[in-house]
Amino acid sequence: MAFLKKFVLFLPIIITIFLFGILVSYLLSDRDANKPPSALLNKNIPNFSTVNLFDENKKLFKKDIEDKVTLINFFASWCIPCKQEHPLLEDLQKKFPNLIIVGFNHKDSKKDAIKFLEENGNPYTFIGIDDGSIGLEFGVFGLPETFMTDKNGKIIFKHIGPLDKKTIKTNILPYLNL
Amino acid sequence: MFTNFGFYTLLLTLLVNGISIFSNFTGFKKIIIFFCRLSFMFISISFISLIISFIISDFNNLNVFQNSHSSMPIMYKIAGAWGSHEGSMLLWIFVMNLYIFLFSFNKTLKFKIKRWAIFFQSILIFLFCLYVLLTSSPFLLNPINVNEGLGLNPILQDPLLVIHPPLLYLGYVGFSLIMSIALAGLITNDIEESWIKVTKIWSLFSWSLLTAGIAMGSYWAYYELGWGGWWFWDPVENVSLMPWLAGLALVHTLSITNHNHFLKRWAIFLSILCFSLSLIGTFLVRSGILTSVHSFASDTTRGLFILIIFFVVTTFSFLLFLVKSPKEKNNLNLLFINKPTALIINNIVMLLACFTVFLGTIYPIIIELSLNQRVSIGAPYFNKTVIPIVLPGLLLMSIAPILSWESNKFKNKLIYIYALILLSLILIILSFFSTFSVFGILGLLLATWIILGTLFNIFQNLRKYKGKKYLFFLRTNNSLIAHFGVGLLILGITSSSVFQKEYSNSIKLNEKLNFDKYSLQLKKIDVVDKDNYQGLVGIFLLYEKNKFVGEIKPEKRFYKSNSMITTEAGIYNNIIEDFYLVIGDRNKEGWNIKFYVNPLVILIWLGAGIMFLSGIMSLWRF
Repeated sequence: MAFLKKFVLFLPIIITIFLFGILVSYLLSDRDANKPPSALLNKNIPNFSTVNLFDENKKLFKKDIEDKVTLINFFASWCIPCKQEHPLLEDLQKKFPNLIIVGFNHKDSKKDAIKFLEENGNPYTFIGIDDGSIGLEFGVFGLPETFMTDKNGKIIFKHIGPLDKKTIKTNILPYLNL
Repeated sequence: MFTNFGFYTLLLTLLVNGISIFSNFTGFKKIIIFFCRLSFMFISISFISLIISFIISDFNNLNVFQNSHSSMPIMYKIAGAWGSHEGSMLLWIFVMNLYIFLFSFNKTLKFKIKRWAIFFQSILIFLFCLYVLLTSSPFLLNPINVNEGLGLNPILQDPLLVIHPPLLYLGYVGFSLIMSIALAGLITNDIEESWIKVTKIWSLFSWSLLTAGIAMGSYWAYYELGWGGWWFWDPVENVSLMPWLAGLALVHTLSITNHNHFLKRWAIFLSILCFSLSLIGTFLVRSGILTSVHSFASDTTRGLFILIIFFVVTTFSFLLFLVKSPKEKNNLNLLFINKPTALIINNIVMLLACFTVFLGTIYPIIIELSLNQRVSIGAPYFNKTVIPIVLPGLLLMSIAPILSWESNKFKNKLIYIYALILLSLILIILSFFSTFSVFGILGLLLATWIILGTLFNIFQNLRKYKGKKYLFFLRTNNSLIAHFGVGLLILGITSSSVFQKEYSNSIKLNEKLNFDKYSLQLKKIDVVDKDNYQGLVGIFLLYEKNKFVGEIKPEKRFYKSNSMITTEAGIYNNIIEDFYLVIGDRNKEGWNIKFYVNPLVILIWLGAGIMFLSGIMSLWRF
């Protein structure tokens, strides 16, 4: 009886410690409930064809990037968070000049897009015009959005919202052993 | 400029609280009161600086840039100050300071207890200042040069949500003071009448404000989310409900403790529990480990920091409780049906409900961690568990305030028994002629039983007063009035959930559709242009049996600054029923609409309002 009474008194502390243990291990396991795995993850790159923003004679197809590690970034001049992540893409391009960065200029006017790139720099290897249909194929949720594909033409990483240093370090850099 | 100003005054708040903690162990103990007021001054300046940054749309402040837009009405600019994680944590610190500032004027408590209470609250403020400064500062400078902001999340741009967070925090964070006072009582081993009285005042106050805050949030969810309901068992709702339930147990326990000094220990335990639940709730919502309507940007460091605060504060408090809890003779006078028994049943029911909600909220985390599977616990679990737990506790509510302390006897016993039998018979017969539902009958029976019982008692008491001193009467009968509010609340909950009718269809312009005895006609679609959004308003005419009743105007809004579309339900209320209409997308057949008839739903907020007012009113007794 005395033992039981002691146990009951200790119970709140035991529960607190137990709870702390569970929650800490959950936090440190790097899961994110708000970002369920994308339906496209580990799937093939969807079919697309696009024309270059600067030169309408240049085109890009799915087969052109299928066998290369590629970073695909959806952006627009009207999207302020895109402006925020832009310097990070520039950095990435400088550090990895061989990395192919495909930019899709999503639902934008050509004039505004070119002005945006003139002001902020152009980190992209190729910029394709997207009237919205390519974004639809990729399941773009909101701008900016970034995809990473591997040498087998599979999507290996997807990020919604502006990129940040931590995401680049943990999710993009490991794939860049070019 | 204001950004820097806010940052430095926040830093000063941290510093002052550090000194205040230290000063408790020096020779000049009285100075702690000065520091606590100084800290309030600094945090007020810091908080006002943030609000001003929002008002003047200073996009050099990163937080303003991310959560405001120059085209927003001034009201929402101000609300933007607590619309984000960073700003709301600053509000949190402000509320903690506000409480201890007001408490510092207390004259009834011994200085020793007061000093320790301020000491513990200073520790909490210190920890949270550290948290904000290190992980969630709203005073960061914007690294990019912009002349426009990203805009506040459109669903937060609502008049109710301007006051909902401050009100909720006044309740939710208010429990921190109650814990500090409890710890002060423990450490000084001096739990006297004045301690009980002070704890009672502050817990009634915080709990009443929490009630109002939760009710307001649920009303917002009702008309803004457009899902036809008012409570979704969303994690963020659950984490505000848990301290509310524990607080309810505390408020009731203190009312016994006031009469005879039993259960002091239990009251202290509940005081600690309430704020611990607030802390763990904040962790669950802010760390991003649960998906919720209020999802804030998730960040492991932030989560870990709050979790550590929770762990340190809770473990320390429970340890102190273990070591220093007051000895008491357990001579509680429990009988079959007297006041202490009723209150103990209340406590068991509330804590059981609280635990059930807690389990349902963290269960997905435990499962994901152990089985690596993602499960979702939703309304079916909570409805099936919480409702049956709470129901028996409600049975005693209508008579609990008039029960005796010492005996099983209470006045007019037979009237109650006959009334209960009669009510059940009437409801069962009625239900055979309408929709039959077990929960429907039980809910209605309890609600009418509580409403009639409390009204009968209020009426009985009123006769004694013979029309004099109404205010005094209201104050002394506040528990009956609060229970009357609960009766209305249950009536509203039961009828709007069990007897709700839901229809969906598509409608063309000028078409008239029939839904049972009601019909809806789409008269026209208006386009409205506001500063911050463009709206499509459907003007619908509602008819009952072909007689015109009123207009309903559901709306879809497109917010320009962040390209988001929101739904605003159109509601026509005739007191008995809410006609709730949501307009969806347009297709070949016309506009998709969802139409709900929610009977007596307004009683939910009326009941909650009465509970809130009676709680506040009771403070005048002291």
